[in-house]
Amino acid sequence: MTALLEVQDLHKHFGGVQAVTACSFTAAEGQITGLIGPNGAGKSTAIDLISGFKVPDTGKVRFEGKEVQGKAPHVISRMGLIRTFQSPREWPGLSVLENLILACFEPRRERFWRSLWGPSRVEKDHANEQLLHARAILDEFGLLDLRNERAGNLSGGQKRLLEFARIRMAEPRLVVLDEPMGGVNPVLGERMATAVLGFVTAGTSVVIVEHNLPFIERVTDQVVVMAAGQVIAEGPFDELRGKPAVVDAYLGEMPTYDDADV
Amino acid sequence: MIDYLVSVLTEGSIFAIMALGLNIIWGWSGDFDLAFYGYVALGAYMTLVLTIGPPTPPTTYILGLTLPFPIAVAIAVISSMLLALIVGAIALRHLRGIYFSIVTLGAVYVLYVFAGQFVPLFNGYNGLSGLFDPMGDFFGLDFSTYPFFYLGLCVVVLILVLVMVSRLSSSRFGLALRSLREDERAAAAFGRNIYAMKLKAYVIGAGIGGLGGALFAGYLSAFNPSAWSPVETIVLYAAILVGGRGSNRGVVLGVAVMVMGLQEATRYLPEIANQPSFAPAFRLILTGIVLVLFIRFRPQGLLPERRMRDKDPAGKGGAAVAVETPITGPSLDTGAA
Repeated sequence: MTALLEVQDLHKHFGGVQAVTACSFTAAEGQITGLIGPNGAGKSTAIDLISGFKVPDTGKVRFEGKEVQGKAPHVISRMGLIRTFQSPREWPGLSVLENLILACFEPRRERFWRSLWGPSRVEKDHANEQLLHARAILDEFGLLDLRNERAGNLSGGQKRLLEFARIRMAEPRLVVLDEPMGGVNPVLGERMATAVLGFVTAGTSVVIVEHNLPFIERVTDQVVVMAAGQVIAEGPFDELRGKPAVVDAYLGEMPTYDDADV
Repeated sequence: MIDYLVSVLTEGSIFAIMALGLNIIWGWSGDFDLAFYGYVALGAYMTLVLTIGPPTPPTTYILGLTLPFPIAVAIAVISSMLLALIVGAIALRHLRGIYFSIVTLGAVYVLYVFAGQFVPLFNGYNGLSGLFDPMGDFFGLDFSTYPFFYLGLCVVVLILVLVMVSRLSSSRFGLALRSLREDERAAAAFGRNIYAMKLKAYVIGAGIGGLGGALFAGYLSAFNPSAWSPVETIVLYAAILVGGRGSNRGVVLGVAVMVMGLQEATRYLPEIANQPSFAPAFRLILTGIVLVLFIRFRPQGLLPERRMRDKDPAGKGGAAVAVETPITGPSLDTGAA
């Protein structure tokens, strides 16, 4: 199992607050890696640093062996690392279908001159295929009937699904999900768990930040526990359950997947 | 009467060209640019200094060439784009929203004062004049037929611009630009280079603005700081908002309503004795009232921006049919259910 994402000794402070201190972990290819920890542990900052939305003070982030720390978000995204945000960030004024189409970044088609002259026959065929692909994905997420709807009119849960559908459309090498279960009901949660597992089948590895531990237990292969800006433990969830440091910092009394709502 | 109609239509076409340029910057890319009229003015100034010949004392201005009108217009457009590249490169780097607007407002005021005070540039507050009936001699037109020719020219240019922006609007370039307007961080997360795209849109919009300015100079035959003030941009914004932000047809309609309709209608107000400034003031008040009403009751405008619409009823299989029809207007967030 090779490391797709390698975070090494990352530091970041805001004023006097040391948000991330000596954070190091790896996420393997083809796996789902959970990133858990109490509020203020530095998880979201770590995601921002990995995805280029914030620049680390020191430390290294390697994605597929290449150093990406301090690179612009779009550069990292084009390398195949796409992130989501804590609240769903759809493009509200665009239709659901347009949201999906735009998830595919195609620099050639978005050039000014090419757009002015209009698409070639090959590109038209490609656009048609893309539309069919988008429909298939929307169907999978139960959003097909809403495809012409303004994305801003969707419900909170539908927006979460739309975000997942966009990831499926973009087919990145790695997706970093920031609390995808926030405000999601149990039934939808089940669907999203299936979707996260589906990412791996589709060739997208996953790093997932989440407070919903039964969900983490269910989907992850590997879990990284952060507290006070540092990684305090790393390993499969079952192993971590017994570690006193992890229990002290975050877990407390553990619910199990069987008796909890997902 | 016919002369009057021709002049109104000519002016309307010119303003429609300008508004279509601003629509790229504000309607698609989402930047509330207050420097826009600066690019219009530079287009007008450059057209004049490139066509009216060397200055005769006491007037002073740069260049003073006698280039053919179309070439002068092309150079004017390029200079507007260059200026926009400089202003945009600074203002779009990190600033968004109101901060971006303030910087662009500052930029246009610098330009305005500079053009007024620095006489050797464009003859200061007295401005430039002397561009009579561009291309009229070439086509052998006299003063009675010339206005029709110039109207035709402006309409043809407007149609060309409209074709161009329509193609861009429905292209992936236009769609990607709108994603910046809707949510920039998400756009960056999906690989869009925000700064480069916004700058590109800004320069293209300013170029179209410069083109409008160049035609405006040919129409007025003169240009000076009293012919433009940074406030003029607001009229263009009013036209875009009323017509439909982001929608090309809407913008043209908005110009017809707000610039041609409203401005010309108030021209026939009864004059109030000793209050000659009442009519222009009332025009601005009326513009304001119409704006407020539209923002409150129809923020998407008269002809809302059109969305790509997938009409295939089955939703899968078969040939994909993407047709554009309206569904709703720009972001008036109804929030999550």
